[in-house]
Amino acid sequence: MGIDVLFKIAGVGILISVFHTALKQAGKEDMAHLCTLAGFALVLLWVVQLLGRLFNTVQDVFKLF
Amino acid sequence: MWLKILGSLLVVIAGTCIGFSLAGRYVERPRQIRQLISCLSALKSHINYVAVPLPEALSQCTGGITGPVADLFHTMAELLKSKGWLTPQAAMLQALTETDRLVLSKPEREIIAVFSANLGGMNREEQHKSLDLVHEQLSRIQYEAEKICDQNARMYRYLGVCGSLAVVIVLV
Repeated sequence: MGIDVLFKIAGVGILISVFHTALKQAGKEDMAHLCTLAGFALVLLWVVQLLGRLFNTVQDVFKLF
Repeated sequence: MWLKILGSLLVVIAGTCIGFSLAGRYVERPRQIRQLISCLSALKSHINYVAVPLPEALSQCTGGITGPVADLFHTMAELLKSKGWLTPQAAMLQALTETDRLVLSKPEREIIAVFSANLGGMNREEQHKSLDLVHEQLSRIQYEAEKICDQNARMYRYLGVCGSLAVVIVLV
């Protein structure tokens, strides 16, 4: 696993927080929450792939077939 | 590597431009309404004190103003001069569709259309009253447009820049 995915997640987090602040200042709080949710889903997509790889590795190590 | 950087730069520039152009529409609208109000005030003076024919009054009332609003009045004046059978309302509606870069939205377009229906069809006092009413309605719309501009212009700029950066992060 490269370290770059961590930087990606950090970048998305920073940008989503800026999005949230900008939308909240503009009075569109529902859109701000929607935006946060979208960012969360995006990051979850990446993390779920990594978790899948982790589980596969665990299966391989302990021969759990 | 260089191709990636170049592509990212292009995405960021495009996103920023989209954000700024969307914000520009919100900034431009109160300005155009303000110009419209000042043109209508000048038109009121031309109707009340100078008493020139309508096409001349329309082309003279844009003194000192340039841009889409001045173009709107000039187009209407040209239409009334060249096609004498058009009513002022028909000329105004045609001018509204013909003028580019006009960012006026539906409420002020409706107000202008109703006002132009009264133009030239009544005596001087009634036109004066109609213009006063339009002035008051446009001032209220201008106040609302300025409030919306304060809220939205900055948001669209932020969203343009940050959205393009997010796209770059997702794509890289």
